[in-house]
Amino acid sequence: METNSRPVVVKRAPDRLNARAARDFLRDVQAFLTSDRPQLVIDLSQVEQLDAAGIEMLLHCMAQAQKRDGDVKLAALSDHAAVMLELTRMERLFEIYETSTDAARSFSGFLPNAMRQQLLHHKRPDFPAAA
Amino acid sequence: MDMRGLILVSADDREDRLPFVAPPLPLFDVAGYSPLLRMAKRLESSGVSPVVAVVEEGQPGFSRAQMLPPSIDCRPATPNGFWRAAENAFNDLAASGADLVLVVRMGAYAEIDFEKFVHSHLGRNCRVSRVIHEAETLDILCISGSRRNDAASLFRSGLARCRSECEYFVHQGYINPLNDARDLRQLAIDILTLKTETPTAGREIRPGVWFAPGACIEKGARILAPAFIGASAVVRNAAVITRCSTIEHHAHVDCGTVVENCTVLPHTSIGACLDLTHSVAGAGQIVHLRRGVVVDVHDQKLLGRVSLGVGARLADAAVNLPQRIWRGLFGGLDREEPAASPALTPSSELLHEACGGETSAELAPNLVIARRYGDQ
Repeated sequence: METNSRPVVVKRAPDRLNARAARDFLRDVQAFLTSDRPQLVIDLSQVEQLDAAGIEMLLHCMAQAQKRDGDVKLAALSDHAAVMLELTRMERLFEIYETSTDAARSFSGFLPNAMRQQLLHHKRPDFPAAA
Repeated sequence: MDMRGLILVSADDREDRLPFVAPPLPLFDVAGYSPLLRMAKRLESSGVSPVVAVVEEGQPGFSRAQMLPPSIDCRPATPNGFWRAAENAFNDLAASGADLVLVVRMGAYAEIDFEKFVHSHLGRNCRVSRVIHEAETLDILCISGSRRNDAASLFRSGLARCRSECEYFVHQGYINPLNDARDLRQLAIDILTLKTETPTAGREIRPGVWFAPGACIEKGARILAPAFIGASAVVRNAAVITRCSTIEHHAHVDCGTVVENCTVLPHTSIGACLDLTHSVAGAGQIVHLRRGVVVDVHDQKLLGRVSLGVGARLADAAVNLPQRIWRGLFGGLDREEPAASPALTPSSELLHEACGGETSAELAPNLVIARRYGDQ
């Protein structure tokens, strides 16, 4: 399929994702985000500081990607990033994966990993089907 | 009988606990009153008066004066001179005619029946009595005022050893170790769910919801029991406070924010449309109890500090004036760049620069590109 040949870009976010760093980061990925159906994984494993500008940048990336029928996924969240995404309710908007590899692989699956796991649970004989 | 109280509050920096900006947790308000004040009130209600507190000075730059209850005679002490100050305070109490001195080191907040404790001490005719709870000794002692040498040996060993035989009094009531932020949160839950004898600072306006005087709840805000809103705290429109949350005095919760199972410390401002859950928030930090992490938040939009009143600001400025003059004269040479600039850049500027600037197809060298299928 045509979609299978599209590249997935994995980009590691800097340790401080404040206004200046967010601008630099966005400049780095802008070229990719404006391509056709961009698939971007942002690795947040090294993030030790994330403020409103950083979160705004993540949202902007997602909006740009979705405009072109692509997606942005987050991977390997540091504790700080996880708390800040939860605080700002952003964790509900993004698909989040344990590792960048998992996130990159998830683009090739039709269903997101979470849904696939649910389906596997339902198929297991030791899990009774919901009434 | 003349009974007097001595409360000792020292910073106990253990590595196995969730660190917090200021270690002596007994100074933080929980449902309106700090554990220190609750203990002092408990002592006073048992006929132990006056109560003196010796409080260890904290980290430089941290204003502890605002946290000390004005109703107690609080004596600050340096970390090195803490036990010396405690011994001096005991000697002062003994010299002023105390028959018995009840010494409480916090640490743990325990609801001791002090009357029974004193009866036990007098009944056994002992010099020093100590409280035990589940076979563990607590740093809560009753010392006869005339036994200064026993007291000196105790203070010089950090309450670990006594030169004479020590009798024990078994405590079976409420106790909270107050080791870290998790225990501080648990104390708030226990107070709101009435597991403790100590009350909240406010008036119960409906079952399980306490408001302190001056609390401002805007129309449209929702407070679900049990909850506590402290004095002069503000909860704005469409905010939700739920699951044993306590909003301490002068804290602000902005529009649309959900505070669930949290303690918001005094003078803390929580930004709009946020989800603060299972945390203790304040002093530029969020201690997330489920994840077991402490996160420094530099962004004032998310977690800020409510400015003080004019009088408090003037007093604060007067205290810091010499330090500011010193910095002004000599601080220019080694001034550090601020760790993080607050997120005040408008989004349009950020996005315009990024989008309108470079449109080159060449990607940065630190990008990793992976193909989804194939042998690569």
